Amino acid sequence: MVAVNQVSIRVAGGELHGVIGPNGAGKSTLFHLVTGHLRPTAGEVLFEGRAISRLPAHRRARLGIAIAFQAVRLFRGMTVLENVMVGAHARTRTSFAEAALRVGRTRREEREIRSAAEAALERVGLTPVAGRAAESLPLGQQRAVQVARALCGRPRLLLLDEPASGLRGFERQQLSDLFADLRAEGLTMLLVEHDVGFVTRLATAITVLDRGRVIAEGPPAEIRRDPAVIAAYLGQEAQSA
Amino acid sequence: MRLGFWLGLAAAVGSLLLPLLLYDAELTIYVFIGLSIIVVAGLNLLYGFAGQVSLGQGAFYAIGAYCAGILARRGIPPLAALLLAPVLTAAVAVVVGLPVLRLRGHYLAFATLAFQLIVLSIAGQFRELTGGDTGLTGIPDLTVAGVGFPLERRAFGYAYLTWVLTALALLLVHNLVASRPGRGLRALATSEAAARGSGVPVGRYKLQVFALAAAFAGLAGGVYAFFLSYIAPGSFPILLSIQFLVMSAVGGVAVVWGPVLGAVLIYILAQVLQTIGSQPGMPLHAPAELNYAVYGLVLILIMLLLPEGIVPALRSAVASGRLRSPGGAAPGMAAGPGGAPVPPPARRQ
Repeated sequence: MVAVNQVSIRVAGGELHGVIGPNGAGKSTLFHLVTGHLRPTAGEVLFEGRAISRLPAHRRARLGIAIAFQAVRLFRGMTVLENVMVGAHARTRTSFAEAALRVGRTRREEREIRSAAEAALERVGLTPVAGRAAESLPLGQQRAVQVARALCGRPRLLLLDEPASGLRGFERQQLSDLFADLRAEGLTMLLVEHDVGFVTRLATAITVLDRGRVIAEGPPAEIRRDPAVIAAYLGQEAQSA
Repeated sequence: MRLGFWLGLAAAVGSLLLPLLLYDAELTIYVFIGLSIIVVAGLNLLYGFAGQVSLGQGAFYAIGAYCAGILARRGIPPLAALLLAPVLTAAVAVVVGLPVLRLRGHYLAFATLAFQLIVLSIAGQFRELTGGDTGLTGIPDLTVAGVGFPLERRAFGYAYLTWVLTALALLLVHNLVASRPGRGLRALATSEAAARGSGVPVGRYKLQVFALAAAFAGLAGGVYAFFLSYIAPGSFPILLSIQFLVMSAVGGVAVVWGPVLGAVLIYILAQVLQTIGSQPGMPLHAPAELNYAVYGLVLILIMLLLPEGIVPALRSAVASGRLRSPGGAAPGMAAGPGGAPVPPPARRQ
């Protein structure tokens, strides 16, 4: 089975690039080709001009690619702050031996990681819950913790997989505001989302997928009027009706 | 946190003074408990923090013991043999871990169990090297530059050697868990995908912690070989590995002090069962079977009543006590010495 076929998508530096499409369009497949969770059978993923299709996920993280998963994946038994501190793993180097003996860069890096994590929590407005167990937070805050964890790694590209799904209106608005701020600061983001309204309000450019192919791309205003896009979404509604 | 510090200090000072009051037979128990703590501290890193179950720590204990014993009998200075034991054990763990750590959960538990059976079988077969089923006798005593413990104070010397190594093991774990690699290990226990996404090299980290836990067991095994001066395959039954795992679960997984409490309680329990099982009239296999049965029961009770073990349960009891006391500042989340969080009691908002 071919989930995505001949899909070419280009995310320019500093833009928030949205990917939308009906269920089964191949959004998640495309997303995980970039994260490294899946490998392409043909084609190539380039990051800042470098072919990364063969790099494992943790090496991609080191290049500056950070992820916020759709199914929230926070670390159990760790506080919110510790969860966010893990995000700095990609850009720090303290080894087992150094950490066990507390020598070398251990203390310096530890201080730096902690302050970066505190700043990231401040950034997403979760400072008051820094000491709580991550799994005890409501879904909206867990999503925000994932974003803070990603930011703690100082990413050059932030991948967001359906960050708004399952959120109530208020939480959705808060998250949307956060992404708008990050966009204004020049962070490059790839936003994969089922909710067309959420994406068109935020994205600077949008790619629309349907059944594994690109059916439209361009700025949000054009996408909303595109007959192929309307047909794809209407078609799905007709099917599910 | 402050309470934990004082309790830790009290335990350290108390255990440091304790050998002064003990006779040789009791000092032997003291040494065995210390060696168990070292093994379980390593297992706690592997199982408690990184979430990888091993039912074969007894195998690494055996490998450490055999390495130290064989090398020392062949003329390697005993101290060098003791230091080589954890290194060689870790090397074996790397070779075994490469294929085995691809497995998860109970598959990993079965594979490590099978590994121990293989190790025991090898130890029983290669007679020239290991002494076969009759074991390795005449392991020389531990000496440093030719100087050993005076014979009448021998157990006393091993007690303090064990104390120092145990303290070092706990210190290493304490430092590690609240650090970058420690958080990486704790992260991959929940979600390998999210850990990878944050830059944690999951495969390499699992291998490193597997080797480190094996090195702890290998070091303890080395001390065991010198202390008893005799080892055989029968010294390292599967029951020993189960005992280590029960110690880890009872004391508390993912807390630095868990291994101490777990090892002390289970060791005492094992002694009691041994005494009961070897009463006149009891069948020959009674001690072992009694141990298996009671360990099973203990595991079930712990999983049902205190799934995180005794130390975390005590900690949250203390934390909720503080919450209830009037005027006491409510701690949001008490992070223990290992940075292991205590879930706050449910708060109504």
